[in-house]
Amino acid sequence: MIIIGERINGMFKDIGDALRNKDAKPIQEWALKQQEGGAHYLDVNSGPAVPKEERPAAYEWMVKVIQEVSEIPLCLDSTNYNAIEAGLKLLKRPGMINSCPAEREKIERVFPMAVQYNAAVIGLTMDNKGIPKDAENRIAFAMELVAAADEFGLPIDELFIDPLILPCNVAQEHAPEVLESIRMVKTLSNPAPKTVLGLSNVSQNALDRHLINRTYLAMAMSAGLDAAIMDANDDDLVDVAATCEILLNKSIYADSYLKVFRQR
Amino acid sequence: MALTGLEIYKQLPKKNCGECGTPTCLAFAMALASGKGALDACPYVTDEARENLDSASAPPIKSIKFGNGSVLGDETVLFRHDKTFYHPTTLLVEISDALSDDDIQAKLDEINGLEFDRVGLHYSIDGVAILETSGDPDRFAKVVAQIAAGTDRSLLLLSENVEALKAALPSVAARKPLIGSATEANYESVVNLAKEHSVPVIIKAEGIEALNTLVESAQKLGYKEFVLDPGTRNPSQTLANLTHLRRLAIKKKYRPFGYPVIAFTSKAEPLAEIAEASVYVSKYASAVVLKASAKAHVLPLMALRQNLYTDPQKPIQVEPILHSVGEVNENSPVYVTTNFSLTYYSVEGEVEASKIPSYILPIDTDGTSVLTAYAAGKYEPEKIADALEKSGVAEKVNHRNLIIPGYVAVISGKLQEVSGWKVIVGPRDSSGIITFTRAM
Repeated sequence: MIIIGERINGMFKDIGDALRNKDAKPIQEWALKQQEGGAHYLDVNSGPAVPKEERPAAYEWMVKVIQEVSEIPLCLDSTNYNAIEAGLKLLKRPGMINSCPAEREKIERVFPMAVQYNAAVIGLTMDNKGIPKDAENRIAFAMELVAAADEFGLPIDELFIDPLILPCNVAQEHAPEVLESIRMVKTLSNPAPKTVLGLSNVSQNALDRHLINRTYLAMAMSAGLDAAIMDANDDDLVDVAATCEILLNKSIYADSYLKVFRQR
Repeated sequence: MALTGLEIYKQLPKKNCGECGTPTCLAFAMALASGKGALDACPYVTDEARENLDSASAPPIKSIKFGNGSVLGDETVLFRHDKTFYHPTTLLVEISDALSDDDIQAKLDEINGLEFDRVGLHYSIDGVAILETSGDPDRFAKVVAQIAAGTDRSLLLLSENVEALKAALPSVAARKPLIGSATEANYESVVNLAKEHSVPVIIKAEGIEALNTLVESAQKLGYKEFVLDPGTRNPSQTLANLTHLRRLAIKKKYRPFGYPVIAFTSKAEPLAEIAEASVYVSKYASAVVLKASAKAHVLPLMALRQNLYTDPQKPIQVEPILHSVGEVNENSPVYVTTNFSLTYYSVEGEVEASKIPSYILPIDTDGTSVLTAYAAGKYEPEKIADALEKSGVAEKVNHRNLIIPGYVAVISGKLQEVSGWKVIVGPRDSSGIITFTRAM
């Protein structure tokens, strides 16, 4: 289970302020804190805190300051591909591009860039018309992304399909379809693409968010989920990830498995 | 193995004409992958694509049968703990036709004597590889006939000279020998000869790439009963070749390598040769040709083969008969345990370390441990009493004391009643046996 720490995002007030004031400290603190929590990647997103034209420079700065304190690879999260490319150029370890929908124009921009910088790609099962409701249509988009990976020479296991989970209080019927999509993605190719979720979305504006997040994580891992963009400092949630790895026979059991999981 | 959407898509014409009833080729590929359509719905798919799709759904490694029950290939995993290895390596011992008739007979007698009974199992060597080194087709044919008359085991006829194979094969073709080797120089004649007599044939080339080319050419002759030989007689290179071939066949479903592989040892010194052969048995060789034929050399290799090809999902069992440790006498203590090998050997090790010659009776619990068997009703007092009586241990000792595992102390009363033996509850863990025996 690959944990992508979600916290360095301009939508959070402290990160937004840090970006506006060019104050590296909160960003660096969160990088280290998430790493300790068990994150394998750090998601990096300026959010709307930075005006569009300044985003490439902002991503360069964020990558630079994070890499001053942490060695873990970065997941560059933006719809602005120039900003992502600016960040990719500075990465010390192969990163991840978050994200690319199944739209030809964007695929042609993102996939060659991923191959050039040795980065993984998060592919969204949607196009400009929006998110499909059922698993079949999600999978049709996933298949287009898989065929694109093959076409552009991106190793298919470097493609992370995100079947797009929506909040369970307003889009409840999506949750089981997403689980089915995760299962079906594994039949698209051999090797199969990986799967990822923006986990915290499932509980947006719902009560008992932590409970919903960790329950859905266990369900999704059982369906074959490989990665999640999530709260790496929610200890109960990370415990669930570690426990699922044991129960899915992906890691060898030891009494200290919770600790071992965080050491990786 | 089901085909993936991407594999199917790559074989489609990519016209997106919609004549199959699905808007795009990509959508059609996905419908096929999920079993919702038939390939025939596409009028533009080529015969080659159809063939590729058919063969992609075949098992990753073809099963090749020859001789007296030898089965090669038909394997599905790289590591036995992932599932199991199915068809134990066929072991053959070589005899050259350049030897004198007497020497050939002596070697054959030695090979026929390679039968072993050990820990309740029977091992035997599978076959004889007859090497043409004389350069004389008539001599080769004569030696093949002599060996065929002298053994029922599987035969491998090995010569790169088509004339020699043509001379020797007809008289033994009914026994379905494996023949070889088809090389770049002779493959058309050798493969056609194999096809004519319906026998499997070894395809041999130096290295993986040359082998790939040769297999693809040989397949065009319309015959597919192949065994692969990646040439290079060098242990480290052979290990690499064996690994590549197995990996490509299973992980990438690479069809030209979807055949079993044969390995030949290179070391002349028997101990080094057996070490080399052990590597090939462990790493995917479906057949190994040996020079060594002494019992002492071959037995460890056969034991290794037996071990590697056991099913890791099934518990390994020891024979549920009375075992003795050390120079037993009429005063020796009697232990009962179960026939799960892990349990039995834990007890045996401790009993041996106690230096007191003893009897151990493993009860047949279908290879389950003491507590598992007890919980499943397979370790009942009546059953133990019955096994005790049938074992004949009563005639071997002059006491009636029986030591049972401490974890099943609860059965002691009933067992004493039904068996008539005095039941002594031993330590819970076998590691306590030494202390326990000293206190007795």
